[in-house]
Amino acid sequence: MRYEKETKLLQSAGRREFITKGAIAAATGVTAAMLASAATAQEAMKMPHAHGHSQKPIGSRNAKPSIPAGTDVREEYDGYSRFKPGRGNDPDSDYYLGKLVPGFRKTEDGPAPFVAPDLEKLPWEMVNGAKEFHLVPMAVEREFHPGVKMNVYGYNGSMPGPTIEVNQGDRVRIVVTNELPEDTFVHWHGFELPVQYDGAATLNQEPIKPGRTFVYEFDVHEEGTFFYHSHVAMQEAFGQVGWFIVHPKKVFDPPVDRDFGLIFQNFFVGPNQTVSDSWSMDWNWHTINGRSGPYTTPLVCKHGERVRVRLLNFAPMQHHPIHMHGHTFWVTGHEGARVPKSAWIPRNNELVGVAQASDFEFVANNPGDWIFHCHMVHHMMNHMTKQVGPRIRQASVDRYLANLDNRPSVEAAQRAGFNTPGYPQKMMGMSMSEEDMKIYWGRREVQGMRANYLMAVKGLMTVMRVLPDDLYELVMETDQPIEKGAVFSEIVRRFGDPDHYEPAPKHEMMSMDG
Amino acid sequence: MSKFGISAVVMLMALFIDGAGAQELLQSPARIAEPPAPSAGSQFINPPARPTQPASVGDTPLGLGEVLDLKTVLSLATQNNPTLRQARLQISAELAKAQQAGLYPNPTLAYAGEQIFVDVEGDTDSPGEFQGGIISQRIVTAGKLSLSREKYLRRAHVTEHLAVAQQYRVCNDVRIHFYRALAAQQRLEMQRELLKTAEDAAVTARELYNVGQANRYDVRKSNVMLQRTRLAVQKAEHEYRMRFRELTSLVGLDLPVGAVVGTLATTEPLATFDGTLARIVAESPEVLAARAKLSADRITIEREEVEWIPDIVFSAGTGYNFDARETVAVADISIEIPLFDRNQGTISQARADFNRQRREVRRTELTLRQRLAMVYEQYAMSFEHASEYRDSIVPEMRAAYRELLSSYKQNRIEWREVLQAQAEYAEVRLAQISYEEQLRQSEVLIQGYLLDGGLNAASGPMPAGHIDSVPKPR
Repeated sequence: MRYEKETKLLQSAGRREFITKGAIAAATGVTAAMLASAATAQEAMKMPHAHGHSQKPIGSRNAKPSIPAGTDVREEYDGYSRFKPGRGNDPDSDYYLGKLVPGFRKTEDGPAPFVAPDLEKLPWEMVNGAKEFHLVPMAVEREFHPGVKMNVYGYNGSMPGPTIEVNQGDRVRIVVTNELPEDTFVHWHGFELPVQYDGAATLNQEPIKPGRTFVYEFDVHEEGTFFYHSHVAMQEAFGQVGWFIVHPKKVFDPPVDRDFGLIFQNFFVGPNQTVSDSWSMDWNWHTINGRSGPYTTPLVCKHGERVRVRLLNFAPMQHHPIHMHGHTFWVTGHEGARVPKSAWIPRNNELVGVAQASDFEFVANNPGDWIFHCHMVHHMMNHMTKQVGPRIRQASVDRYLANLDNRPSVEAAQRAGFNTPGYPQKMMGMSMSEEDMKIYWGRREVQGMRANYLMAVKGLMTVMRVLPDDLYELVMETDQPIEKGAVFSEIVRRFGDPDHYEPAPKHEMMSMDG
Repeated sequence: MSKFGISAVVMLMALFIDGAGAQELLQSPARIAEPPAPSAGSQFINPPARPTQPASVGDTPLGLGEVLDLKTVLSLATQNNPTLRQARLQISAELAKAQQAGLYPNPTLAYAGEQIFVDVEGDTDSPGEFQGGIISQRIVTAGKLSLSREKYLRRAHVTEHLAVAQQYRVCNDVRIHFYRALAAQQRLEMQRELLKTAEDAAVTARELYNVGQANRYDVRKSNVMLQRTRLAVQKAEHEYRMRFRELTSLVGLDLPVGAVVGTLATTEPLATFDGTLARIVAESPEVLAARAKLSADRITIEREEVEWIPDIVFSAGTGYNFDARETVAVADISIEIPLFDRNQGTISQARADFNRQRREVRRTELTLRQRLAMVYEQYAMSFEHASEYRDSIVPEMRAAYRELLSSYKQNRIEWREVLQAQAEYAEVRLAQISYEEQLRQSEVLIQGYLLDGGLNAASGPMPAGHIDSVPKPR
């Protein structure tokens, strides 16, 4: 446990330092780039509308989509623009739907940094010619929502476990010390390694007893999206999984600017319970990288960037049709290997089966806050419950809690809506405390989103934010306070139809209107 | 050929003659088109209506009378319960007997004329040899009167114990019925809580029906539960009226049904069987009365043992002797010779009665033990249950209900589970009330020497069948 705390402290301190330094560097770079690329102004971009009902303009009023200086990428390839929605001219073109449209990042700069929001990376050091990692299976407490701390199993204090990130050709040594009170095994999912290190329970190795250490060591000749997990079924269902990303020796072409990782999981946690029931055949808590919407951290990229999202479905037994709004993406790989370009598939929706991973790539040519979610209705709502009762009668449960011995009488007359079969369909209730709201809105990644954002993102949902450079800088690289809805309004002003846009009420939250 | 045969022939002929007309005959008569009855599950049908309030016998509305507490009803019972007055009159009657039994016999005044028409000198038919008045007095010997008075005084002492027993009977019964009324009142409140839950369940069933999560069976079932709960409330009202009227009957007043106020739960520590039995045997008014009666029976023996000692009857008088022609006096003394009747039979009877009463004391003790055995079982069981319901079950269920409310508030469970917990919480409180009621009843009996029956007539000192063979109290 001490190890876990120290690691977290180091990692969080390092991350903050990176953000601060990175922000300064990025701000400088972006400003320079903006000045340099004024000539590449996008024609389609609208200027702030004089009569719009949206909020005050923010960011640089004259900002234009820009291509960073020093790159040889273009704004347009065969009629496909990286700065505005469109498909291009020819389905057989390499650039149709942005298929091979490169990111701004140069190939020689190596792979884009892999970012799994809300997860840390597992540090390593070179020992005897191998990258040595220390992995500790243990029981952990994971905050699914602010203040909602669920008891699950994970690694090194985290569920999912920290990301192992190596390069193709590395030799890795993973020292696994079992801090669980029961036997465990670690399986390196997808690696073609010597069988004794495969981690399949007792088929290949003896159990790692509580308190004991087992060392896995092998050469990594693969590249792509992998993961590790316990090979005890209940421990898997209890959350024990983590990324194992192998960057290729030859950087995937076309290069991407962003490389995000999302692990989808679900659990069953009973009412007033924090211990996940891994034996359940039903699942009511859905998490992305260990958090449930709206606590999932949005993926933020810049307008025009090429983005990769690696998505792993580690739900125990439910497949996930994954849908991203506003863009058509290419499915470029699965957990097995990178798919040859000839077999890439353009999609809006990709079914990701249990223990499968899919790599999505797209050019972020449509600014906005785009929801990225599993399309199964049940998974779009966390811990669903039936809507009947005080929740739809506009009667506060506090009235019942105020006097347990003498419950309030029920109003026999039902609301007019009940004349319509099927009423009510809208989710009602759900209150959030002021403290929770501060935590949700305290993250830089959500700054300037619509005030109702928290109502929209539930369960297996996150948001892909495509921001113009100046707004990206404002959101991600400064500490400036940004009014709720301001970024969104600005995007509508620039790219949408401000005359017909109505901002969300600032403080509305989960109202019970029916 | 039968009529049917003729008709058939005519019809066949008609078939050959006019084919078109025959065709019409073969057609079945046109039916009146009826709209198909809506069937559940084929189209939306509104949920069945909620049942109306069930009919009531229209008994007296509740809450018209006064609010009574235990102290008040005990005070009223002391003043108005007729059996307490009866018990006091029993004492008076025995004291009167004692007084009567000790009274000294009255003297006898007689006029005597003897030898009337005796011939005397100068008169062949004289008025008599003696004409005069005689006064006689019985002298009671051997302390018979004081023994008799003592005997009845001791019987009066028995009635005093019996009056105390009656006081306990009345007070215990008043307490028991007060707690029964209090429990009935609390049960009524609980039933009203359950009714609110049943009403909510009926509304909830309709809400679920509207969103396809319940069907008409569920709604009808909720209607059934609602109606049964309404009837349960009415039943609880009837029970409360009954308990209140029983209570006021014991009090001796005809009061309209009001309310009772008090604490049903007891805080008295658990009493042991042996300790309780020892106290009851030592202090019970019934045992004390039986022992007092034994004492009276002992005096009865003493009294009967002196009965055979003869009283002396003195007579004296004066009159005129028409023979001697002078005033003379007479004197007489008599005494009964106990030659045959030495009261031996009654003495024997009194001794038998005495010995019988000795067994009566033991019988009373054993009866109390037997009654205590039954009451103590109720007492111990209800003590355990009331304690556990108070300290564990009800608080746990209350906490469980709170947990579910909180869960519902946080969208973690559905409302039906909360309703179930509400009902269960009300039900465990109902059970708690019943156990507290039982505990109170048995506790009152244990503390009150197992005496109840506050409207039974106050009993006298003599057991049924006792032979009181002497007409004059003695």
